Amino acid sequence: MKIALAGNPNSGKTTLFNAITGKIEHVGNWPGVTVEKKEGSVKASLNPGKRNLIVVDLPGAYSMSPYTSEESITRDFVQKESPDAIINIVDATNLSRSLFFTSQLMELGIPVVIALNKSDLIQKKEIVIDTELLQEILGCPVVRTISTKTTNNGLGSLVKAAQQVFDEKKQQRPLHVKGAKPNATKSEMEQIDKNRFTVVNDIVDRVERRKSDSSNHTIQDKIDKVVAHRWLGIPIFASIIWLVFSLSQSWVGPWLADVLVGWIDSFYSLVEGSMGENVNPVLATLLLDGIIGGVGAVVGFLPLIMVLFFMLALLEDSGYMARVALVMDRYFKKIGLSGKSIIPMIVSTGCAIPGIMATRTIKNERQRRTTAMLAPFMPCGAKLPIIALFAGVFFGDNAWVGTSMYFLAILVIVLSGLVIRKITGDTSKSYFIMELPEYRFPSIKRAAISMLNRAKAFIIKAGTIILICNAIVKMLQTFNWQFQVVGQSAPETSILASLATPLAWIFIPLGFGIWQFAAAAITGFIAKENVVGTLAVTFAVTNFIDVEELALVAGSADVHTVFGIGAVAGLSYLVFNLFTPPCFAAIGSMNAEMESRKWLWGAITFQLGMGYVLSFLVYQLGTLFTTGSVGAGFLGGLVASFLMVGYVVFLIRKGSTSRQKSLVEEVA
Amino acid sequence: MKITDCKLHTEYQIASILATEEDMKEFLFTLGCYPGERIVLISRLPSMYVVDIKNSRYSIDDGLAKAISVRESGQPASVRVVGNAV
Repeated sequence: MKIALAGNPNSGKTTLFNAITGKIEHVGNWPGVTVEKKEGSVKASLNPGKRNLIVVDLPGAYSMSPYTSEESITRDFVQKESPDAIINIVDATNLSRSLFFTSQLMELGIPVVIALNKSDLIQKKEIVIDTELLQEILGCPVVRTISTKTTNNGLGSLVKAAQQVFDEKKQQRPLHVKGAKPNATKSEMEQIDKNRFTVVNDIVDRVERRKSDSSNHTIQDKIDKVVAHRWLGIPIFASIIWLVFSLSQSWVGPWLADVLVGWIDSFYSLVEGSMGENVNPVLATLLLDGIIGGVGAVVGFLPLIMVLFFMLALLEDSGYMARVALVMDRYFKKIGLSGKSIIPMIVSTGCAIPGIMATRTIKNERQRRTTAMLAPFMPCGAKLPIIALFAGVFFGDNAWVGTSMYFLAILVIVLSGLVIRKITGDTSKSYFIMELPEYRFPSIKRAAISMLNRAKAFIIKAGTIILICNAIVKMLQTFNWQFQVVGQSAPETSILASLATPLAWIFIPLGFGIWQFAAAAITGFIAKENVVGTLAVTFAVTNFIDVEELALVAGSADVHTVFGIGAVAGLSYLVFNLFTPPCFAAIGSMNAEMESRKWLWGAITFQLGMGYVLSFLVYQLGTLFTTGSVGAGFLGGLVASFLMVGYVVFLIRKGSTSRQKSLVEEVA
Repeated sequence: MKITDCKLHTEYQIASILATEEDMKEFLFTLGCYPGERIVLISRLPSMYVVDIKNSRYSIDDGLAKAISVRESGQPASVRVVGNAV
């Protein structure tokens, strides 16, 4: 049988889903974390009857009339795919709002069981709920649950109750709401919904007693005053992000990476030793330098990523990130977006794909598409190894590199948002409303789960896509077009070099017109981790992290020499990789959410142009400041940049004249 | 008067909602924010207002705060609050 989990946003659906299926889906305390349905089977300990019990986690919804597209997923599922039972998750601290949705669910003719979740919090808040009376009035089982607890959490009884209501086949009677009927017109609906709230208010009056209400959280409000302060808001956010980067990049990360790289090194020697002398040298170098070296170079950065995600998860869990949305709303309004757009962007610091999917919570189409286009500019987990590598080689592992890339991303997003609004000419504004989660002490366990989830995905990716790409890169580098092994003296005759060299020309004005860098930027579109892997393979640096030096990128002077570019060009290359289009998987996701070819191609072109112009500026201005004269290929790059910026200006002009025309027509 | 003019931690009754954005009124309704219901202003932040509706806290921007008209609680529905009404 199929059981659907439905309830208001932040009622704890995904936490409950994880607890009864044993899965580890990402949980969060704001709407938009779950934007698609997820299925799992009930774990054996909660399923003594060994039945086939499938649970479906649905995005949060306040009612059956969807406001945003992720809410319609929930409505469509319960209406069209008729699950065998619905577990309606009700936030026990918020009965009066939650029961509105409950009363609608009960009219579907599907047996409903209510999970009165967060039951531990009602004691803290001195709320008393008469569960038995509630059960009697609603006419469906009500089970108290605490899905954050591992034992004695009511989940066993909940699963049992869901099976019971299904087996009994007894028709549950919906609440009597005056005038309620299917297919009501809009004005009828309004009256019905008012009646519905009257019924709900009545029930709440009878079953609930509360002493304090949520209008008295003075400490919380004081914290809000500080973190959402007009002037302090952004500096506080910046310091927190700097702390996150400095812990992961300068302190804890290297220490852990050190241990891991030790293992990778011994594995390399073990394989090298066991192959002996008789193995074909081409095969040996493919395995050692291509696969183990390339994948190892990427995996070496895993500890850094884990530390970073652990801390971001703590921040999210504490309720702070929701305040960041408040702070950013003011700035995002100026560029035609709203604080709602910040959530997909924060999610994108993990991975752009769920970030782009989270744009479903944005109602306005132009804002949704713009956010899907700009969210991938945030430095995602796969871009971290690139940041770490270049920060290590050129800037002594300094945390300001990561932090400044993070804020450069926000700046780029703000500027781009402005440009896109000018091009589309849509000046519509949106209101901002967001449920404010309470601050709480972040759970180490939740953060650890989130971190392990990321680590798992990273390792799987390294062992599949990255491994294959590195092997292919190594092969293309080993052979020339006649399929002969390329000699040490002529590496530029390899297939890879001849493919990448023409591209390298384009990069001369950016400071890295070297075929290895061009090749790495291209493989980066398959997965951004490839940039590090390909650089390791093509420059034959088998690992970037030195065990002796306890620095993320060690022997950085050596790597520096091997790379053959300066710090300014290194920064320019980093910027190029962060601000060009994301990986193909994320582009696919953009395609799905934008639902427009025109927008998709516009977005990709825009991102390419942005990456090129930004790194051109970084390299040429940086060179001008450090040496007093501009770098190589200045004129060519300037012409290219002018053409790109000119085209954008043309689009803006075109947009505004066509608007004026339509205005004139309207007047006439 | 609007939410923006409310006294902190004082109960008001929602009088009317004039939201220009499509479906916003309906969405607010599902949160229990509709004429006749109570609303409490909890905190003023820069360009943001934290309100309590049905024991939940929401932050709303000043645009939306201006769209929600309220009257002092406990007064008969027919009496219109003048005073600091905008």
